[in-house]
Parts: sequence; C-alpha cells; structure tokens
Amino acid sequence: MKTKKIIIDPITRVEGHGKVTIKIDENGKVTNAYLHIVEFRGFEKFIQGHPYWEAPVLVQRLCGICPVSHHLAAAKAIDQLVGVDPENLSPAATKLRRLLHYGQVFQSHALHFFYLASPDLLFGINAPAEKRNIVAVAEANRELAKKGILMRKFGQEIIKAIAGKKIHGIMATPGGVQKTFTKNKRSYFLDGTQIPNIDTMIEWSQEIIDFIKSYHAKNSNWINHFAAYPSNHLSLVNKENGALEFYDGRLRSIDFAGNELLNIEDIEYKYHFKEAVEPWSYLKFPYMLKYGRENGWNRVGPLARLNTCAFIPTPLAEAERIIFKQQSNNSVNNMTMHTHWARLIEMLHCAELMKELLLDDELLSDDLIREGISRNRGIGIIEAPRGTLIHEYHTDNQGIITKCNLIVSTTHNNEAMNKAVRQVAENILTDVPEITEPMLNQIEIAIRAYDPCLSCATHALGEMPLIVEIEDNNGNLIDKKIR
Amino acid sequence: METLLTKKLDKTLIIGIGNNTRQDDGLGWCFLDALEKEGYNTDNLLYKYQLMVEDAETISYYDTVIFVDASKDNLKNGFSIEPLKASSKFEFTTHSVPPNQILNLCETVYHKTPKAFVIKIEGFKWNYKILLSKQAKLNLKKALLSFKKLSK
Repeated sequence: MKTKKIIIDPITRVEGHGKVTIKIDENGKVTNAYLHIVEFRGFEKFIQGHPYWEAPVLVQRLCGICPVSHHLAAAKAIDQLVGVDPENLSPAATKLRRLLHYGQVFQSHALHFFYLASPDLLFGINAPAEKRNIVAVAEANRELAKKGILMRKFGQEIIKAIAGKKIHGIMATPGGVQKTFTKNKRSYFLDGTQIPNIDTMIEWSQEIIDFIKSYHAKNSNWINHFAAYPSNHLSLVNKENGALEFYDGRLRSIDFAGNELLNIEDIEYKYHFKEAVEPWSYLKFPYMLKYGRENGWNRVGPLARLNTCAFIPTPLAEAERIIFKQQSNNSVNNMTMHTHWARLIEMLHCAELMKELLLDDELLSDDLIREGISRNRGIGIIEAPRGTLIHEYHTDNQGIITKCNLIVSTTHNNEAMNKAVRQVAENILTDVPEITEPMLNQIEIAIRAYDPCLSCATHALGEMPLIVEIEDNNGNLIDKKIR
Repeated sequence: METLLTKKLDKTLIIGIGNNTRQDDGLGWCFLDALEKEGYNTDNLLYKYQLMVEDAETISYYDTVIFVDASKDNLKNGFSIEPLKASSKFEFTTHSVPPNQILNLCETVYHKTPKAFVIKIEGFKWNYKILLSKQAKLNLKKALLSFKKLSK
C-alpha cells in the first residue's frame, strides 16, 4: 500500500472556507491530520489609522453571521477609551446591549442547529451527501424547518429593532447606545400578532431540547464517544456568583477534571494568553502562558460555558443544565457532540433572558450615554455564540487606533478542532479497504460541532467546490471526488 | 417579466443583493436607491448583503420576487433580466444562499411559488470603496431603463 494524502476542501456546512489534509502511511495508518484555515485576515492591520469611534462599525464587517458580537466587543473596548467601564454604563444602555446580544446568540444558535447540524442528526452520518441539507430536512420534517426559520427570524428581528438593521446595524456608541427602545417595538415581540412571541420562542426552545434528549437516548453510544477527548474549557462567568454569563464577567478556565486553571479579570487577559502560529494555517493557536502551548489551550463555546459556569440564572435553562450535567456524572463534560445539546440549552436561556428584558421598563429609559476621562487602551471581551471573543485597541492622543488585537472564538477552538480531526481520522480511516464519502463527512461532523466561523477568524476570499483528492507518497493523484 | 409593475409594487418584492463598500458589488443596492428616488414603494425594496435561509419565509408572502445583483459575467448590453427556477442543488455553506435555492426552500417549507426573476448587472471593480465604476454606472442606467419600461 502506498502512502496517501486525503484533502477535504472546502469543509461543508460551516461558515467560511477551510480544508482538511489527512496523511496515511504505507501500512494504512493515519500519521497526521490537519485543519487548515486557508483564508487570510487583515482586519487587525486594516483598522489601524482609523479613529477609535469607527471601530465598532468597521469590525462588524468581519462577519455577516455574527456582526453583533464584534460590534459589542469593540463597543466595550471603546467605552474604556472614553473612560467608561462596564459597571459605569447606564442601566438602560447595558440592558439594550444585552438584549441585542441575546438576540444575536439566539439566532446564531438556531441557524447552526437547524441548518448546519440537524441534517447529520436527522439522517445519520451515512446519509448520501445530496440529502444532507436544509431542503431535505424540510421535506422530512416541515414543522421543524419552519420553527427553525421563525426562531432565527425572531433573533434577527430583535437585532433589527435595536440596531436598525439585521446585519451590520449600529447601536452602540462610545459610553452607551444611540437610541432607546419603544413601547411599539416591545409589543411586537410580546403580543404575537405579527410574529410568534417570546413565550412561543421559549416553548419551541424547550421542544428542541426534548428532541436532542430523545436523540441522545437513541444514539448515546455515538454521541457520547464521537470525537470526545479531555480538554481545558474557557469562558466568561458572572463576576459575583460564577453563573453563565454572555456579556461581561471574569475569565475562568478549568481542566478536563474541573480543576481551576484561571480565574481573572477579563482585562488581564493579555498577561495570561499567548498566540502561537503554524506555517500551514492562517489561524493562530491561543494558549495560557502558565501552562504552555502543549497543555494551555482551551475549548470555548456552549460546551465550555456549561462546564465553567456554576449555574444558569434562569429557571428553565437551569433545570435543563442539571439534566445535562448528569450525562457526565456531574463532572466536566468533554463529549464534543454534547456541544449541540449545550447550544440548545443556551438558546432557551437567551429566550428567557430576552423575555425578562422585554418586560423591563428600563429599556424605555432615555438615560443612554455616560462620559469619563479618556484612556489610550481598551479591552472588550464577550461570549459570542461560538465562544470567548476578545477585542483590544490602543490609540494615540488624537484618538487614532495604533494597535488592534482580536482573538475570535474560532481561534480559541483551533487546537480543539485539530485534535478532533486527528482523532476521528485515526478512528475511522485506519486500515479500511476503501475510504468512502460518509467517512469523510465524519471528519466534518467533528469540526461542525464547534460551529466554526472561518471567515470571522480570518477573512473570506473566493469560492471553492468540495474536492477530495487522494495522492500517493510522491504527490501523484490516485483518486479524486468532487461534491 | 410578463406583468407590468406599478410603483406601489403590490405583492412584489425587489431584493437588492450586494455590498456598497465593495464598489460594483453595490449595484443591487444602487438599483434599489434609484427606484426609491423614482417613487417606488420602499416597503417592498429589501437590501441584503447576502440571502439567508429565512428569506424563504420573507418571499413566501409575495406573488412576485425580483432579485437584483451584480455579476462578474460578461453580459450582452451589460445586464440581463431572466426568469428564475427553483434549484435543489445546495452549496457547502449557509453564509450565503443563491436565489434559486431560496425559491426551492420557499416551495418546500411554505408550499408557495412566487414568480421570480433575476436582474444581473455587470460590474467591473470590487475594491474597498463606496463608488461604482463608470462602466457599472452605465450598465445600471440601462438596466433601470429596461426595468422601468415594464412599469406603469
């Protein structure tokens, strides 16, 4: 048997472009596997020379899927440049930003579960490629598809109501927000006359969790073991009580067994993290300095958040978290495919939080902007749908940005995704007589669990078909499959 | 386009797709800007960076949908107006969904099949700038003229 190299390019049903290379030796053993991020990012350089107040607007263009996350992380950093810390923002501004953020997480999680992940769960990993898409899901389960569309729409409408547009709207301004909410807008989400209301969102979120629980009951062996491995987990947690937190908190990391590795003020991040580079990817590899490149990397995102938090501060989601924790005997959950389950619990949590805020009269207040004494450095960290998102800006005395550092969620998960790819490749491709398309899809399923946003982590360029090439040791093409 | 449009755009949605910060990629939006200036009903003009799955629900409320987008293809007269059929072929991501797949999703989920058309306008420059190229402006003018002939 000759040495083989398999390339999956691009990875399907993820946001952006990436490819996987798997090397198999002459004995049929997988010797290495890499997830390459083949896009180039230039935002950190591109933003230099712009006035600080442009940052929340410009960075939204990083992504069409999670522009709100970038907008808010930048806004938190820019607040500090005008001397306003998160606790000094007006209550109305904080609540409006939080509502915007929960709408964003809700719609992003809905998009991922219904349109990217559900085909694998509904039809199984061996289903033909042409069936693994949203139309096939809609044909098999029209009501599920409809709910998915309307849940995403609800989150998008929240964003539109606050930011003015569903994508790349503008709401945050240095030290606060631009405009208040109105009673009419509030009614739109509460009365259910024009779109299904927030109570329906809560109800549907619970239904979808029931779906994943029932799926787990039938497929527990696969879902518990596929691409599972021990790792560290990182997220923000509430400053006072360690609860699940999306907008502002302390950075906490734990290891695979639950031992605390880090618990710091978010703005101290730069003293604790470093980013490594590899020649085969444009995506960096962040790790905790104290634990080194080998042991200091973290998973981020829904699974990590449910591991690092002490509890969820809304009743329905907390009840689901308790059931979820039982799957790992109340210890740390390192089962990658449980990320889907965790994501749905977060959707329910966001729906509950949106309801709380929609009923809060402070949203209608016109106390929107605060001022402080200017500084030259601002750091904004939030929990984006895919995980911990870090924005840092430095300015000169004229307020022009001189330095920018962005660590996006997918970057934190770079090592984790590579590990998942290697593990699945070793398990399914070693000593097999023929490499089939469903086998390659399993590699993608492992990556998809992290809901990577590759355009966000880098920057999108061009279009590519899915090509799988198998080459011999000398790089000669043996087989080629195009999806 | 078989039916004449009125400026009220009854039961008709026009979706401009693109990004005006990438020069000629903003042609779809500029088309809508021009219609707004002409007095077309702005409630039925929709600006999109890209089409997403939930647009299947949006178009299900209309009898006619017209997608307007910039094109890199060399087009006779610099633009084309063509009827659109649903397609079941799916791309590798949902970062953007082509109009024919949105139609397909609309048919599958909502059992609605709006009449659909695509107006493609040839663009030439795609840099980070809010400015159409001269040739693109010319093509936009021609496309608008042709479109308005179909309007009352």
